[in-house]
Amino acid sequence: MKFAIESISKNSGRLGQLRVKDSGPEFRTPLLLQTTKGGSIPWLSADVFESHVSRKPQVLQFTLSTMDQMTEALALWNCGGGRGLSDYVGLPGHLNILLLRDPCETTPSRGNDRDIQPLFTRRGKESLTPERYMEMVSSLKPDIYQGLSDADTNLESAKKRVQKSVDRTEKFMHYIYEHRGKVESNLLAPIVGGYNTFARTQSIKHAREQPAGSYGGYIFEGFHTNGLTATTLDSTKLLPIVEHCVKQLEDDKPRIMPGAFSPLTLLELIRQGVDVFDTSYAYCASFNFKALTFSFVQDTVEHVPFLDITDEAIKEDFTPPLGNCSCLTCQKHTRAYLHHLYKTNELLGPILLMVHNLHHYMAFFEIIRESVAKDTLPQLTELVRNQNGKSQVDYSIAANTKVVSKATMGKGFAAAAV
Amino acid sequence: IPPLTYKVVAECSVSKARAGLMTLRHSEVNTPVFMPVGTQGTLKGILPDQLIELNCQILLGNTYHLGLRPGIETLKKAGGLHKFMGWPRAILTDSGGFQMVSLLQLAEIDEHGVNFRSPFDNSQCMLTPEHSIQIQNAIGADIMMQLDDVVKTTTIGPRVEEAMERTIRWVDRCIEAHARDDDQSLFPIVQGGLDVPLRQRCVSALMERQVRGFAVGGLSGGESKHDFWRMVDVCTGYLPRDKPRYLMGVGFAADLVVCVALGIDMFDCVFPTRTARFGCALVGSGQLNLKQPKYKLDMEPIDKDCECSTCKRYTRSYLHHIATNESVSCSLLSIHNVAYQLRLMRSMREAIQRDEFPQFVRDFMASHFQSDPIPAWIREALAAVNIQLPADPEKNDEQEQKPKTEKRQETEDLDKEQVATS
Ligand SMILES: [Zn+2]
Ligand SMILES: [Zn+2]
Repeated sequence: MKFAIESISKNSGRLGQLRVKDSGPEFRTPLLLQTTKGGSIPWLSADVFESHVSRKPQVLQFTLSTMDQMTEALALWNCGGGRGLSDYVGLPGHLNILLLRDPCETTPSRGNDRDIQPLFTRRGKESLTPERYMEMVSSLKPDIYQGLSDADTNLESAKKRVQKSVDRTEKFMHYIYEHRGKVESNLLAPIVGGYNTFARTQSIKHAREQPAGSYGGYIFEGFHTNGLTATTLDSTKLLPIVEHCVKQLEDDKPRIMPGAFSPLTLLELIRQGVDVFDTSYAYCASFNFKALTFSFVQDTVEHVPFLDITDEAIKEDFTPPLGNCSCLTCQKHTRAYLHHLYKTNELLGPILLMVHNLHHYMAFFEIIRESVAKDTLPQLTELVRNQNGKSQVDYSIAANTKVVSKATMGKGFAAAAV
Repeated sequence: IPPLTYKVVAECSVSKARAGLMTLRHSEVNTPVFMPVGTQGTLKGILPDQLIELNCQILLGNTYHLGLRPGIETLKKAGGLHKFMGWPRAILTDSGGFQMVSLLQLAEIDEHGVNFRSPFDNSQCMLTPEHSIQIQNAIGADIMMQLDDVVKTTTIGPRVEEAMERTIRWVDRCIEAHARDDDQSLFPIVQGGLDVPLRQRCVSALMERQVRGFAVGGLSGGESKHDFWRMVDVCTGYLPRDKPRYLMGVGFAADLVVCVALGIDMFDCVFPTRTARFGCALVGSGQLNLKQPKYKLDMEPIDKDCECSTCKRYTRSYLHHIATNESVSCSLLSIHNVAYQLRLMRSMREAIQRDEFPQFVRDFMASHFQSDPIPAWIREALAAVNIQLPADPEKNDEQEQKPKTEKRQETEDLDKEQVATS
């Protein structure tokens, strides 16, 4: 894994180039990883993703909590040689990174134990030892994988829980640094420690003590417990601790921070020097029937952060979810149709929403990289914060709890009885 | 130009099979054709573009469901179902009557129409032939169905005759009410239960009406396969050669092949997309239940000769892991299953055009049933149209062998499920 910094600016963060494999494509940072579930981009087949979202190579974000069952099959698949983990999930030509936890879903907060790390899968809790984890990594053969960590902390965590997460992570990593030679994949050193500067420093110190070349980058965890919890972080608490961490890290390694951060938090994290994020925010919006409509280009039109697909008011709105959007959904379908798909609980609904939301979020990242290059990230941040001079916009995603009632059905058959 | 023209392109010199070209306002349709069912204005997790890629030319929509959601007013404002769902090709709609009778426990039929309690507010409502046509005119499908008097296929006695007679009276009311005859073609439905003379009478009465095609109804609902094929054979025997014939609710592979041999041109069935939801993939020899442990390490595609986007990219092993867990698996298997049905129809059309259809049928049956005995009803049905199958290695006396595709189609259960989830 090679990472080269192109520029660093006080106000706009860093621009970099990440090459995962010598022969593979180069990715520019700030980089957006494609989050997956069970190896697939949520709701989208490889065909739909490549035909309607992007043809460019991506870095796929795989999670062990949704792929643990595939270990045996992948051991067999990989022993053939030539084909890799991305090929197995139907997305050849894309690179990948293996995380433990699914950033799309809130990770349950329990089951931490001295020598094992809980892994919450679809079938319940599994217990990972460092030995078992390294076996699984060597079967899966991801391009990049994260070190085993206890990241069960957030702003509310007690000091004792935070300290435990650091100590246990250190213990797991001790084993992993020792045995990492058995796998060819690139390792990311986990940095944990909640919102505690002392604990974060300790976690960083343990990584930095390792001999040069032990790992290729950092993964920041323990600021939130995934899912919607990442969308509502208090940046006045988050940013100082991230700044504290970044200061202690060398420049030439990428910093990855998974989670469904709001667009505003994301921009602030980029300014602090975080390099790699993922599409879990687009997933969370789609899952809760919201189309992303925030603006990241200066214009005179009024913008709102989301279009709520569950809103009865769009039942007969035959305009695209977002005017001027060039995605398949906005080119070919209407708000009214998306609303109908929501009401009828049809699978095409989240598919069309995900196509739009990914398209929108990936376009946002293009603008971010442009702004970082031109050192205009603060202006972009202001635009996203205020959306054309309006008062501050709320980017948090509320879980959709609406139940579709019979009362919302049409009266198409209500001819009076004769 | 009429909204539907049909011409026979080729006829099998042995059986009653024919290949045709049906030209509709929104699409040309090569027959025999399988129409995937997009009940609520979408086909289970498949984009319209993907359906076009599969060369799907016509979809079926359900009037009952569309009348409830999005509702007729919304569909009118949208400019019809084609525009509402972004589907540029042809659509066929049913009358809504069958769905009502099978879904709503309290539905009752009298001379006026179908009486039912509205699922909207539980008020007493009625679907008349006129009303069904008004709704279908708003939906704007290329082909629409008359409201018919539906009785259970296993019904016997005077009720069957009454239903047949009423269906004929209702077709006249439907024709009278039809306001868009320049754009949409109304098909009458042949009824008459399992009674040969009733079926004959029904066909000849319907043939006196000005219609552009015919549907065969009241089958595939629990009758014996022996009765099923005989009724299809009787109907196609009397229907005119120059108009398309649609057999409602039939879609298992072996049934499709037999009924094409008997002279049917159009089919629909929820089975391919429904079975996909449960992790099943259609293949020549029946279906693979990918949830079974034996597929866990199987690195082959579902079908290595299939050209669908699923078979190009995905192994059985990967599909085994995501089937019924990740919703994308439903799209992936639906794509394959629809591709399978469409490919089967295309192969039949091509075989008919080469006049090699009887050999196609023999090859199909051999690979579909493999070492299992071919059911007696299939042998009889095919023999009735002069296609002889080779004798089974061992004589098997079993009469009503179930189709290889396991369970019978359970349209009613599926639709109840859909209502329950709504
Ligand atoms: Zn869009
Ligand atoms: Zn296929």
